[in-house]
Amino acid sequence: MLHLEAIEHRFEGRSAGAPPALDIPSLSMKAGRLTVIRGPSGSGKTTLLYVLSGLVRPTSGQVRWDSVDIAGLGEGARDRWRRRNAGVVFQNFNLIEEMSPLGNVTLAAYFSAFTDSHVRARGRSLLEQFGVPDEARHVSSYSRGEQQRVALARALVFDPPILFADEPTASLDEANSAELCQSFKRLASEGRTVVAVSHDPLLIEAADAVVRLDHGRVVERELVA
Amino acid sequence: MNPFPVVLSLLNRNRVTLIFFVVLITFAVGLGIAITTQERAVRQGSARAADKFDLVIGSPGSPFDLVLASVYARPAAMGLVDGEMLARIMAEDSIDFAAPIAFGDSASGYPIMGTTPQFVEHLSGGIEEGRLFTSAYEAVLGANVRLDLGQHLHAAHDGFDSEEMLHEGTIEVVGRMARTHSAWDNVVVVPVEQVWGSHGLPTGHAPGDERIGPPFVTDQLPGVPAIVVKPATVPAAYGLRNAYRTDATQAIFPAEILVQLYALLGDARAIMSFLALATQVLVVAAILSGVMIILQLYRTRFAVLRALGATAGYVFLVAWSYVALLILAGAVLGLGLGAGVSWAVSGYLEAQSGIAIPVTISWQEVQLVLMLIGAGAALAVLPAVAIYRQPVVEGLR
Repeated sequence: MLHLEAIEHRFEGRSAGAPPALDIPSLSMKAGRLTVIRGPSGSGKTTLLYVLSGLVRPTSGQVRWDSVDIAGLGEGARDRWRRRNAGVVFQNFNLIEEMSPLGNVTLAAYFSAFTDSHVRARGRSLLEQFGVPDEARHVSSYSRGEQQRVALARALVFDPPILFADEPTASLDEANSAELCQSFKRLASEGRTVVAVSHDPLLIEAADAVVRLDHGRVVERELVA
Repeated sequence: MNPFPVVLSLLNRNRVTLIFFVVLITFAVGLGIAITTQERAVRQGSARAADKFDLVIGSPGSPFDLVLASVYARPAAMGLVDGEMLARIMAEDSIDFAAPIAFGDSASGYPIMGTTPQFVEHLSGGIEEGRLFTSAYEAVLGANVRLDLGQHLHAAHDGFDSEEMLHEGTIEVVGRMARTHSAWDNVVVVPVEQVWGSHGLPTGHAPGDERIGPPFVTDQLPGVPAIVVKPATVPAAYGLRNAYRTDATQAIFPAEILVQLYALLGDARAIMSFLALATQVLVVAAILSGVMIILQLYRTRFAVLRALGATAGYVFLVAWSYVALLILAGAVLGLGLGAGVSWAVSGYLEAQSGIAIPVTISWQEVQLVLMLIGAGAALAVLPAVAIYRQPVVEGLR
């Protein structure tokens, strides 16, 4: 379970009197659930996602994953934690266009301790599972739906227990969005903690829990299932 | 950690710009390599061309003119050493031989050098085609002279082959010297008697005597502008040089002149090498500025790597390898280009002068390239640090 305790985050350079970007006394995201974070622009959704994933260290408070306080780790330790425990999917996929789908999926092998052959076998299996043809051509020549599935396969290549997604359906059509929602549901049902920032009604409908933010505060929590 | 797949993907983008950067470095390095190799090649080539000219004696005047005219076949207006002096030098005990050198005429656009059969043998080591001249009306060609054996030449007085300046009679080409790697590969060599005779002078032999070469009859010897002496020993060489540095003659080791020229060349080389190195550093610095801008375009990509769990060290390594590879490629290609240009210049100079200009890549050039690669690798830290320090979240926005 991911648990936030007394989180406050202020951006550097903002005046001391300005309200914090995040002010969350307590929030939990359980394993086996798809949690969607929603809220208006500027409400702190993406900042919360970055805090949860260890990309941003909050000004104060704790982010606990099991017994580890991610917010208390140094930058290198947070990188390692993320590599071992989390996958990230971005709104614009952020694939390396000059690489093949398999090259993108196995990218993290170049900076991890995993053996290349093991990662490649896992990458091929994921591409097959998500229905993306494993060809040598550049990933930029694939459809947007296929590119987002490549991005999802990349996030799952080390079989992480947590999956973070930032507006994952924002640049997909309805059919591809629906397919991705199903994938997220399935991944959560396998026991992962899936956290997505989204406005997409399809994804919100598929969620097990919805957290609504406004001005950096949690204004509504809804447990759907 | 393996940065290269990511580096290659980055290099794949902006290929035209990056190729342009590499070409700039290649040209900057090539310039430096061409300067240093060419300077050394000219030095070695000119020294080798003077190898067979141990001691040159002429009338007082410019020692540079004397060496240029006799060794490098660049005729100049010079005073003459009189016949009596020539006879005295040829009679020296401490010499292997002394050969008069006469010049100033031309045939079919090639300079004519008059000397003795003995000196032709000494200079070329033998005749490669045909035979050596045996009469005053025969000639042998330098290896580069584009004339044919059996051809009859008209000697002209002014070097322009003007009709009104032609000497009487013809000279038959009977042979071609083996390559000497000296300026004499570009000249027509005739017996010195031919030059004397065509100018209406005595030929060094009794009237009616058609022989060529020594021994000469002293009172039939005209003056010559230069005499090449092969001393029997090193002490004899110094003795002769001292003995013929008089009011009537000057005696020069061509090496003495070359040393002065090389000192000049050396100074010029030091300045040009410095300028070339400065150019290289400036080019690399300018390119680094461009690379820093290009790397900023990739900041999302670097941020994504971080988001996927890459350490800041890995991102630093990718950015550093990217810049260092560009500089390495330019430096290595520049070494090849510089050597190629130097070889081409040598080929041109050799065709013009006949002097072999041997281009070699030495430790000095390798050092120059290694210095640039080292400086480039050090400077590549700057954009890498800029990427390393970039907040991940900013890159993801």
